[in-house]
Amino acid sequence: MMLHNELKGALPALLTAALIATAPAHTEAQVREESHGVVLLRGLPTLETAHSIAIVELDPEQANFGELLSEVEQPEMTHPLHHLYYSPAGRLYATGLDPVCSLAEIGLERDATGAPQVTGFDCLDTQGQMVGEDIMWHSSNGKEYMFVTFMGGLGGDDGGTLGVFDPQSNAVVKVIEARPSQVGADQPYIMYPHGISAFQDRMIITSTVHPDLATGVGNALTVIDLNSLEPIQNIVVENEKPLGFPSSPVEVLFARPTMNENIKPAVLVNTMFGFETWKVPYDEASKTFGSPEVLYSGVANNTAVPLEFYGTETELFISHALPGVVKRYDLSKLPELVSTGPDIQAEAGAHHMIFFKSKSGRDLIAIQNNLLNLGNAADNDPTDVDFIAAVNAHTITVHDLATGERLGTVNFREKYNKGVDNLEGLFGSGFVHHH
Amino acid sequence: MADQRWIAAVAAAVTIGGGAFFTVRALPPDPTPVAGFSAPFVFGRFSVPQDNPLTEEAFALGRRLFYDPVLSGSNDRSCATCHIQRLAFTDGLPKAAGLDAEDLDFSSMSLVNLLWGQERFFWDGRALGLEQQALLPIQNPREMAQDLEGLVSELNGSRQYRRMFRQAYGDVSSENIARALATFMRMLISADSKYDRFLRGEAKLSEQEELGRKLFMAHPDTKASLRGGNCIDCHSQFLTSGFRDGLDGFSNNGLDRDADLPAGLMAVTGNPAHKGFFKVPTLRNIAVTAPYMHDGRLRTLEDVMDHYNDGVVVSDTLSPLILEADNAASPPGSFVGLRLTDNEKAAIIAFLRTLTDETFLSDDRFSNPFEGEK
Ligand code: HEC
Ligand code: HEC
Repeated sequence: MMLHNELKGALPALLTAALIATAPAHTEAQVREESHGVVLLRGLPTLETAHSIAIVELDPEQANFGELLSEVEQPEMTHPLHHLYYSPAGRLYATGLDPVCSLAEIGLERDATGAPQVTGFDCLDTQGQMVGEDIMWHSSNGKEYMFVTFMGGLGGDDGGTLGVFDPQSNAVVKVIEARPSQVGADQPYIMYPHGISAFQDRMIITSTVHPDLATGVGNALTVIDLNSLEPIQNIVVENEKPLGFPSSPVEVLFARPTMNENIKPAVLVNTMFGFETWKVPYDEASKTFGSPEVLYSGVANNTAVPLEFYGTETELFISHALPGVVKRYDLSKLPELVSTGPDIQAEAGAHHMIFFKSKSGRDLIAIQNNLLNLGNAADNDPTDVDFIAAVNAHTITVHDLATGERLGTVNFREKYNKGVDNLEGLFGSGFVHHH
Repeated sequence: MADQRWIAAVAAAVTIGGGAFFTVRALPPDPTPVAGFSAPFVFGRFSVPQDNPLTEEAFALGRRLFYDPVLSGSNDRSCATCHIQRLAFTDGLPKAAGLDAEDLDFSSMSLVNLLWGQERFFWDGRALGLEQQALLPIQNPREMAQDLEGLVSELNGSRQYRRMFRQAYGDVSSENIARALATFMRMLISADSKYDRFLRGEAKLSEQEELGRKLFMAHPDTKASLRGGNCIDCHSQFLTSGFRDGLDGFSNNGLDRDADLPAGLMAVTGNPAHKGFFKVPTLRNIAVTAPYMHDGRLRTLEDVMDHYNDGVVVSDTLSPLILEADNAASPPGSFVGLRLTDNEKAAIIAFLRTLTDETFLSDDRFSNPFEGEK
């Protein structure tokens, strides 16, 4: 298949370009920052722009819709920061693709008028763990830790680690590594971990793809026992191979009764190259996982590259990079996917999202549309790949949450000569809803 | 330069000829924005009225006014009589003392982090904004019993006040008195308690404090064997005060039965559903602001925990958040309360004590400016 070759050709260029995120921290912060988004912007090589962290106004009812309220650039970094997460204590972190900064804490401040500002960021010591992906705060033996997946881990063809950090001091407490080549055949392994979610004393991480996108692709989940902080099981989630690759499970959501009391615990997982959403039932009493089953097939439904899970109080949203839609489901019916309405028509690369209210009180959803921010062949950009270009609109589209009607679009490439890699609510907005 | 001075001189001459009130405007004050402003990002957005930005001059003026007995009719009490810094700007009394030697209806309220949280002030929310609030105690016959015109002329009689008003705003007026007091109060930011240092990653909580923090933040869920004090449903996670949106920052936390329920927020909205609703107060520095509740009926934090644990009184408007929160699996019957253990109650109190901010309570910037002058 064409896609296959094109993707392969792009692999070296995509070196550390890891893909997707979920933000598993669920907390009860109630202070809304209304419509401000924090975005990670990627400098585009042919446009000679630098990576940056910025705050953008996303309410189409505001006169300064689409404007950057604050921006801090990182000209010294080859690869940009990757995904933003708020800790339960309200500290802002970002994972990073550049080995010089695989994990960072971002400083935010307000001036005397109340205007928010990004003050900078501190790169944290990860003890060599590289290509930070997702972060989750969860407890192990009654103590809370910050868990970070590092898709590149400490290196190697089958590398990848789960980093356990002290959430106060940001110090590494443990590096969990279990490369297939180290642990031996049929032993539980960790390889290219990316997605992360947890319920009680079980954590699930995914095996996605080697950061160079060439060396290897995963097709399984790893179950971590949070009592021992060791991997105890792998679960393969693979069926159709529309690209001829392993399925590449990416984001994962442990659906659980604390999200909605009607939910029976089960793991939901999107496969980036299998185009599917899977369900793996979980039995709380025996702590065992049932047989994985496909809940949603992208091949059957003409969608590809399913990415994120996000929840509000009542709905679950799943983004599909192609054709650029967000599908919506009844939260209380999880782990089954029961539709609550037509797809929200975003743009190619539909990926991260936040929820907030407009000035007049309308409920909105803003969707960041970019799989990876790479250039365009038309600009002579060496990082161009058709496959990737097709999933990079470089935009944030803002829609009415109830009807899906599009109310505004910010095109970062046109407006700022940059791509937009990640979107999170400025303290508060996306925060309450994020899983 | 010389040219400009010349122009200014002519302009001044013209305005003197044209009318005295112009001279004031010819020299607009140019106050300095407050330097080194810092507040935790997690406290959330805030806004300052555009016609009253935070400036050094307004802050200095507001601080002086706050501590000056000239603000009262008989020149014997200031705002600080009932709002004492080392008590986090409360007065230690169940109900504040009225001028008529009788108690006021309410306990004086802590003044802290007023930039955030509920934008209505007083226990019943009758003041909309700090500028509006600031003039009310001055004129209240039982609090300071001062008439505003009289106050403006008294202040105009002081060369120092004329200068301070000129630098901050322009003329001495009741609006500018309100603005300056509001600025002083907006600057009363407490963000260096042990809890704040914990949030910033600079301090560790003891095991007991950490248990208390978890209980404070958790909704009890007997099915999931999750124990909780449910405090966060009303006292927000970082500010520990009531929520900003609409009237979310008011509720009935079960102090009185229907027959004795005071009007509370209903006195302002006229809505019977708001009977017995009071402003959810901040819990910052709570260990130094006893006694507790709008009428100071509870003497200690132990009494407060006993109230939430097994002393809740049911009334028609009792918050459903309190009705629903129970840690015991057995059917409650008509009982309402958290049913926490003694250890858990003690842990929540230990957490509440981490909210004491010594830096704030002794910060020179907020202290009595007259003391230095004597
Ligand atoms: C006689 C004692 C007394 C004096 C003097 C006094 N207050 Fe108060 N203050 C109180 C009491 C009592 C309350 C609560 C009253 C109520 O809810 O009706 C209060 C409430 C407040 C509040 C509301 C806080 C909130 O969170 O809603 C502010 C602000 C305030 N006072 C500022 C001032 C200022 C400024 C002055 C001087 C101009 C002043 N007070 C003088 C006793 C006093
Ligand atoms: C349903 C909302 C609600 C919940 C839940 C709640 N509170 Fe309160 N709290 C209030 C209100 C309202 C007041 C003021 C009541 C009054 O004076 O009439 C208050 C007052 C207080 C006071 C006294 C403050 C002062 O300045 O006098 C303390 C202390 C306090 N609460 C602690 C707690 C703790 C600890 C918890 C959890 C165990 C908790 N509250 C749960 C609403 C709530």
